[in-house]
Order: sequence, then structure tokens, then C-alpha cells
Amino acid sequence: MTGKSVLPRTILLLAPLLLFLGLAYVVPFLGVIRWSVTLPEPGLGQYHAVLTDPLVQSVFIRTLRICLFVTVAALVMAYAIAYVWVRGTPAQRMLAEFCILVPFWISVLTRAFGWLALLSNRGLINTWLQAAGVISEPLALARNEFGVIIGMTHFLIPFAVFPIASAMRSIDERVLLAARGMGASRSRIFWSVFVPLTYGGLIGAALIVFVFALGFFVTPAILGGGRSVMVAELVYLRIFQSPDWGLGAAISVVLVVFIGVLLALMRRFIKPAHLVG
Amino acid sequence: MDHAFQKDCLEILADKVERGEISRRRFTQMAAMLLAGAPALLRSNRALAQSKDLVLVNWGGDAMTAYDKAYGQPFAKESGIAVKMDGSGPTEGAITAQFKSGKPSWDLMDVDPFSGITLGKQGMLEPIDYTIVDKNKMRPGFGWDHAASTYFFSYIIAYDSSKFGDQVPTGMADFFDVKKFPGKRSLYKWGSAMWEAALMADGVAPEKLYPLDLKRAHDKLAAFKENVVAYWGGGAESQSVLMDGEASMALIWSTRAQLLEQDSGGNIKFVWDQGLISPGALAVMKNNPGGKDNAMKFIASAQTPERQLQMFELLGQGPANPATDALIPADKKRVNCVDPANMTKQIPLNMEWYAEHYASAFDEYTKVISA
Repeated sequence: MTGKSVLPRTILLLAPLLLFLGLAYVVPFLGVIRWSVTLPEPGLGQYHAVLTDPLVQSVFIRTLRICLFVTVAALVMAYAIAYVWVRGTPAQRMLAEFCILVPFWISVLTRAFGWLALLSNRGLINTWLQAAGVISEPLALARNEFGVIIGMTHFLIPFAVFPIASAMRSIDERVLLAARGMGASRSRIFWSVFVPLTYGGLIGAALIVFVFALGFFVTPAILGGGRSVMVAELVYLRIFQSPDWGLGAAISVVLVVFIGVLLALMRRFIKPAHLVG
Repeated sequence: MDHAFQKDCLEILADKVERGEISRRRFTQMAAMLLAGAPALLRSNRALAQSKDLVLVNWGGDAMTAYDKAYGQPFAKESGIAVKMDGSGPTEGAITAQFKSGKPSWDLMDVDPFSGITLGKQGMLEPIDYTIVDKNKMRPGFGWDHAASTYFFSYIIAYDSSKFGDQVPTGMADFFDVKKFPGKRSLYKWGSAMWEAALMADGVAPEKLYPLDLKRAHDKLAAFKENVVAYWGGGAESQSVLMDGEASMALIWSTRAQLLEQDSGGNIKFVWDQGLISPGALAVMKNNPGGKDNAMKFIASAQTPERQLQMFELLGQGPANPATDALIPADKKRVNCVDPANMTKQIPLNMEWYAEHYASAFDEYTKVISA
């Protein structure tokens, strides 16, 4: 009896969300798929272009490279932050929480401009370094790939912290105690016991950050110096600047399929609980 | 396709409010206008057709206010025809969609002339009726079959004078010469006028620019890439690149160059030499609901020098009617991109060429700068 009544109720509760997602995302996306095979003429020509156009390819490759850098950088920093957040003293925890949440609540646009203010030629960092006599010419920190990676990493760290911290919290303290009882050193406990027990959270964090990074638009547009650095901006160019909706749509479809595959992988590897933290 | 400039005018107006150059009273009027604009969009096509009002579509925000104040209200007073401003942006796609719907709700559109040429060829625009619109009130060469010029802006060299001592750049060759004028540069992300600049720097005579040798232009631009710190996509960005000292020289819109000079206390200067003049125009939707003749009359009324003067004051746009030049106060003539003294130094973009080649040229340009 209960088994039967739970399912319809779940569906009922989810219905508004499903309806919204259907109308706001699925239906329009079907239109995008249609464009990709009908504009400017019916056929798979645009997909052929995605595979052969040197600009599309170079932007795809650069996007993947940037996302990979960002993922690794965000994971390393998020791991340290999560560790302090979960296992630090109460004061440390509060500091960590503050550092995670405050940036998390600030808009992506504001943060991109903030980085520009820090990294540009007359930004704080270059000004300080020049005043200290470390450098004579300003370093090229923004308006290039480097600036994009810094800006994106900063934005995505919180998204990596949550699943990692969740994995750390679910570690049974007694396992660590047991390791200590067996005479393991502190670093041995960390590397051989603690870290492996957080692999689930790490993989979840990596996939979230990577998938999120793939669709970045604002940060690369502001910190990338106006070159089309990443795929999302390429789509924007095709749709709004050159009237080439077919190719823009085809690039979007390829991106969505790619992300779909990654999400499917994510489901295989980790429990949903690890994602929300 | 290249509507970024029109949008930028709105930002400039908003800036002026912030600087206190426009009174709070004006600001209230603007806000009221903006709010009043919304219901106009919601009204049905039929209602508009019956009332014989005209709908002018531009790029939204404060341009609606400027258009309304300078052109819309005086026209309504003399003709009894109200002109509603719609800021939804007449992109080529949107105009096409309107036209193909069979019952367009738009009458007049603020378009790039090359879009006017393209859409006109496709039969979506009414030919400009030059018996109503006076060609003598336009600069020669700036009235097209399906688009009538209403304003001008220009892509010009702005530079950080603190970096070059007494040296002043006198053309595109200087812009591309980082030995003589050290420092980074900034170029326009959407390509327009950048091909012309590169070709002139490469030694092509201004009168021999068209048809553009794109291969040569892109080679020049590709070789110059290292020296470009940023490709700006909007006016505010072009300003910050110079203000922040990231570029020592940039090719930017004349409207922004004036503001930069003001903001930097004269440190950032600009020259008209080899600037590239770009016109803006009005076009009329084929079978427009408000009637073809009324739309033409509106364009004719927008040729009034006093009204164009107001647009110059509000947005810094150069007037389309040469008679307006004389009305501009002496101390402001210097910043009028189409003032005779400035115009002789510049080269107008060839809209026929753009109508035919912009899409493919921009594609190639993106490849060059992003590769």
C-alpha cells in the first residue's frame, strides 16, 4: 500500500518543477536541436562544421584545457578549505565558512570585475609589485587565459568545497583512531586512510566544477580580453553577431550532449548525497 | 549585425545622469518615459494600426528617451501622430520575424545602413520616398534605397598622451607602429572599421580601400595580435582599457573619446586622422501598420537641424543634416565627427561593401583574433 501511494505523491510534489523545466528548458532546447539540423539548409552540415572548423575546434580544445586547469586548481584549494571547515577549531571553522559563503553570494559579474581591478596593469597586484621593486613592467595577469583561469577557479571553489566537506564529515572517526592505534604516523593516516575515504566527494566535486566550467560565459568574456576564449562565447557570437544560428545551435547541442555524458558518469560514480554537501 | 554602438549611446546617457550633467528633473522624466515604454509594447498590432500611431524600434533604455524628446514629441505636436518608442532592438532576425509574421507591429527601425541594404534587397523594407524625405538634407552618399541616415559616429584613434611625449599619432600607420608609439593597443571586437584601419596601416590609400583586400587586412591583424591587450566589445570597456593604462592607444567610438578626454582631465586625447565614419539610419517596415507616408514624414521631420542638434547634445552623435553643423556651438564643433573640418580627415565605411561581406569578414576576423 505505502509503496503505491509514495510514487504518485512524489510525482505530484515534483510536478511544478518538472513542468517548469519542461517548458523553460526542454521545449526550447528541442527548437535549438531543430535549428542545428535545418539552418541554413536541412542536413547535418553544421555538425560537420563543428568537427572540421578550425576555429570551433581550437576553442573547444582551449575550453577543455581551461576547464581542466580550473578543476585541478579548485579541487586542491577546496580540499584544504574543506579540511579546515570540517576538522578545524570552532574559530577556524567560522573563518572557513565566512571565506566560502561570502564569495558564493556575490554575483559572477561583480567578481569578474573585482579580479580585473586586482589583476589589471594598474591593478593592486601590479601596483604593489612595482612599488616593492619586484618587477619593472606590469605582469600580464588579466585579459588573457591566465586571468580567465584565476577568475573561474575562484568562482568554482565553493562548489567543490561542499561535496568534499560532506565526504569528510561522513568519515567514521573510529577508523582514524584505529589507524592511530595501529601506530600510523599523522601523514600516513591522512594519505592512506583519510584521503581515500573522500574519493567519492572528490570525484563529485571534480565533475561539478568541470561541468559548470564548460558553460562559463561572463568570466571569460570579461577577463579574456575580448578574444573568444571559450565555447559559450562562441555560441553567443554565432547567434547574435554573425547570423549563423545553425552552427551556434549545433555547438550548443554538442556541448549539452557532452555534459549529459559527464553527468551520467557522475551518477555511476557517486551518491547524490555527496553533491549537496 | 553590428548594433553595439546604438546600445552604447544609452550607457552614455546613463553616465551623464550619474555625473549630474542631466538634472534630476530630466532623470525623472526619463524614468517616466522608460516606464511608459513598456505598455506600448504590450498593445496589440491592431490597436496600433487603427490609431495610426507609429512605432519606432531602437536599442532600448535611454535612447528611447532621447529619440522621444528630440524626434517623437515634436513630430506628434506638428502632425498629431504619436510615436511610440520600442526598445526591443531591431536585429535583422527580429525584423525578419516581424515581416514574415504577415502583420508587423513595427513602423520605423534604427538600423545599420548595411542591414537596411540587405533587408531591402530581401523585400522587407519600404523604399525611402525621396519626394518626402529631402536628400538635400543628407550628406551626399548617405541616403540609400531602403535606409536614410539620421546620425553618425566614427572609429578614431584615442591615445594616452602621457606615454608619447610630444608625439601625436597622425593615422593608422602610427597606430600599428609600436616602436614609434610604444605600448599595447585595443581594437574593436566586432571587426567593423578594423579592416580599413589595418589596410591603411599597410599602405593602402584611403580612396583605394574598397573593395577591401581582406586577406591582406587579416594578415596585418594577425601579425599585430601580440600588441593587442584587449578587443573591446562595448564602449565602457573601451574607455576602461585606456583609463586603466592597459592600452596606450585604442581605436574607439568618437562618442566615447569625448568622454575619455573629459574623464582623464585631458590626458587621453583623440585625433580624427584616418578615422572611419559610420552612419546610422532609419528604415521603414514594408506594409507597416502606421502607413508608409506617415513613416516617411517622420523621417523627414527627423532631418530638422534643431532636432538633430538635440541628439548631438544628448548622445554626442554627429548630425546627418549638414545644416546642423552650423548650429553646434563653436567650442563643441571640435567633437562633431562630421564637422567639415573633421570629416575631410576621415573615411566613411562603405555600407554596400558591408551589406555584402560583413558576415563572412567577421567570421574570418574572429578566427584571426581568437586563434
